Amino acid sequence: MEKERTLWGEFIKGFITTNPLLVLMVGLCSSLAISTKVENCIFMGMAVIFVLTCSNIIISLIRNFIPDQVRIPIFIVVIASFVTIVDLTLKTIPAVYERLGVWIPLIVVNCIILARAEGYASSAKVAHATMDGLGIGLGYTCVLLIMSVFRELFGTGKIVMFKRTIISLGTDKMPVILILFPGAFITFALLSALLQWYQQRRKPEVKEG
Amino acid sequence: MTRIILNLGLRLFLVCAVAAVGLGFTYTVVKERIDEQEHKQRAEAAETVLSSIEARPQEDPELLSSLQGDFPDLSGAFEGLDQSGNVIGYAFVLKSKGYNFITMAVGVDAEGKVTGIKVVTNEETPGLGAVAAENPSFLGQFEGKGPDPLTLGENVDGVSSATYTSRGITNGVNMALDIWRHLQERS
Repeated sequence: MEKERTLWGEFIKGFITTNPLLVLMVGLCSSLAISTKVENCIFMGMAVIFVLTCSNIIISLIRNFIPDQVRIPIFIVVIASFVTIVDLTLKTIPAVYERLGVWIPLIVVNCIILARAEGYASSAKVAHATMDGLGIGLGYTCVLLIMSVFRELFGTGKIVMFKRTIISLGTDKMPVILILFPGAFITFALLSALLQWYQQRRKPEVKEG
Repeated sequence: MTRIILNLGLRLFLVCAVAAVGLGFTYTVVKERIDEQEHKQRAEAAETVLSSIEARPQEDPELLSSLQGDFPDLSGAFEGLDQSGNVIGYAFVLKSKGYNFITMAVGVDAEGKVTGIKVVTNEETPGLGAVAAENPSFLGQFEGKGPDPLTLGENVDGVSSATYTSRGITNGVNMALDIWRHLQERS
């Protein structure tokens, strides 16, 4: 059954049904690494939303100009240009850049953005591509925020944003493993399982046999 | 065949050209502010590490370029001046390897004793290495030590669960002391 593609539908699908991290499982490496601090995730999320939306718009605009044989190099050039713009802009805010510096250039090879360019924006109308970029970007940011709140709060006992403690559990005897790499995988697996369970429950049960 | 290649190449070139113009424009807009920020960061760190001997830092680009051949990780060199303008110490901004890179400023006085250290930026693991890099009692113990190289575990106590970072910071201080000795030999 072919569904009518509404703009709102394009936007909202990024949160649950085609969530880039939990369902498509692309762009994981940087998100696992930076989700140790809530503050980082806010800026990383903003950077990804910006790059994803802009590259979706541009690629959708020039989709008839791009020859099929060289589409990937052109996508990479467009994406890399926006990433460089973000990189240069963030350098003027040293407090942010010192934490995210390594990960910003890596947005270029973040599979989410190339996957959306190749799989969606290069064959969609500009308005749809814009909504897709915003939706997927926000879906990515939401998951990052959930992961980082969990990891920072239970890994260090408090959430510090912009040098102010927002929430404190009043102890620093917390399981450090959560802010280390294993903690990233455990948190991610838990979230992914939660989403699967939610989606299973919504679907009518499929009888076996 | 040639026409196809030309067509593809031309289109790819056009996209790249537009991108290059856009980037060049962005770069000229933000370049000044980036330089300003980096300069400010280094100067502030130099001031902090020289504050215990009440010296005013003055950036010395010539000193920096004369040292960078031997010490490629050095990114800033400051002379510490007293009120009458005599050099009573130095501050060096340098990069050292902990678990990741740590950029730090180290102040050294005329006798080669450390006057203070400050971590400018660190990419250490939050909650582990990053804690050591911001730990005042760990950083404070370097003060007054030198000019002989320091050894972790002998004259410096590391922070538990942050071995790499402790080592990286100790190495950074040793590098600054090295530069100081180098300067003494040269003069």
